[in-house]
Amino acid sequence: MGQNCYITFSSIHQAIRAEKLLEKKRYAYKMVPVPRSISSSCGSALQCTCQDITALGNFLGDKNIEIEGLYRVKEAKLRALSVEKLS
Amino acid sequence: MTGNKNNIYFDNAATSWPKPETVYHSAEIHMRSAFGNPGRSGHTRTLAADRLIYRVREKTADFFNIADPARIAFTLNATDALNMAIKGLLEKGDHVLYTAMEHNAVLRPLTRLKTEGIIETTMIPCSDEGDPDLVFLENAYRPSTRLLIINHASNVVGTIVPIKRMIESAHQRGVPALVDTAQSAGCIKIDIQADDIDLLAFTGHKSLLGPTGTGGLYVRPGLDLKPLREGGTGSQSELDLQPENMPERLEAGTLNSTGLAGLLAGIDYIEDRGLDNIHDQEKKIRAYLYERLLDIKGITVFGPPETDRCTCVVSFNLGDTDCGSLGHILENRYGIFCRTGLHCAPYAHRTIGTFPAGTVRISPGIFTKTDDIDYFIKALKEIATLTGI
Ligand SMILES: Cc1ncc(COP(=O)(O)O)c(C=O)c1O
Repeated sequence: MGQNCYITFSSIHQAIRAEKLLEKKRYAYKMVPVPRSISSSCGSALQCTCQDITALGNFLGDKNIEIEGLYRVKEAKLRALSVEKLS
Repeated sequence: MTGNKNNIYFDNAATSWPKPETVYHSAEIHMRSAFGNPGRSGHTRTLAADRLIYRVREKTADFFNIADPARIAFTLNATDALNMAIKGLLEKGDHVLYTAMEHNAVLRPLTRLKTEGIIETTMIPCSDEGDPDLVFLENAYRPSTRLLIINHASNVVGTIVPIKRMIESAHQRGVPALVDTAQSAGCIKIDIQADDIDLLAFTGHKSLLGPTGTGGLYVRPGLDLKPLREGGTGSQSELDLQPENMPERLEAGTLNSTGLAGLLAGIDYIEDRGLDNIHDQEKKIRAYLYERLLDIKGITVFGPPETDRCTCVVSFNLGDTDCGSLGHILENRYGIFCRTGLHCAPYAHRTIGTFPAGTVRISPGIFTKTDDIDYFIKALKEIATLTGI
């Protein structure tokens, strides 16, 4: 079992903008297809560690990125066991 | 010189040619690489396409000094963007002002809405050099006026219109302005913020040097257009209706990412050479062309003589010759390509007094040399002699 955190966006434009803003930052993150257990307007989400998610969310929020939600998802065998909406 | 066929392309106002090498290259690379469908699915190839679209949007926004790139929706061309703006904004009972220099891309959608009893319209007359009557404009507003439409630069005579003054006048009455930049974008500086433009339509394949099938519509924040087309966006697939956020609101269906890759290279090229340098060069070419044309016996040249207030377009007629036949001989004998007739702008031709006969339009481009103009002038002199003018 593992856990991942995700940030979702209002549109792909916002997602790519977020990715660009993070280019030179030292966070570990990846753009991934949004897990179906999360509902999102945009098909891509930013996956990051759960340690970083608050800092990442704040950083992007300060840059006026249209964030839809921050999520913690516990996953095993390609299934979501639980989804927690952080904000 | 008869029979000395050249390949001189003087129809850049219709579509620019040649394009910078980088434009061909960029579009080809895009098509050959495995880019996915932008916005659809989340795999890395799609993300590569998403990043490309993002870059083009950002580049376009910078180019027009648009603060938020998400307010630009990509379209097929200027016509598409103008239709989206006109049909997405106007409602029953609205009144629209537009200038006599408008292209059919504006005139026809307006006429349809008018014929269907949805809107009322008033045309702002222009001088025979293409300048809108600003006093007429001041008196033409009604309480129901909902939109002012301005063709930034005439595709018939090149006249650049004082958009800033006109937009100010509209804004004093709370009326938004839609600017058609098909002929001006890539020729002269356009600044959304300084000019206070509410809606801007552009096309990618003319002076922006991109491929056909590219263009866009900028929509000021707070103006919400009803989408002309609805369909897939890759986002919010559970919604029965089109998403409301821009740009998805106006971008149903797969984008022309190959074309947009080319457009990106086109705008890059303009920025590398400098828009001001391009404009200066085009002014010199137009001034030279205008002056040389006046040398020819029996010629009537249309549009302002001052190059400062024009894009690189000149219209003329030679004596009483038929402009279509003149265009034909220019191509067949001399290999010179230009556009003749009404140029999709019937009221512009009425304004300059050339309806329904039309004119020959010469529109040099950024790769035109004075030698090309000299060759063309020689050809025209020869034709004038041949036809007994
Ligand atoms: C003034 C003007 N508006 C609109 C258009 C339409 O452009 P497009 O054919 O790219 O939609 C043109 C070009 O033909 C034009 O010159």
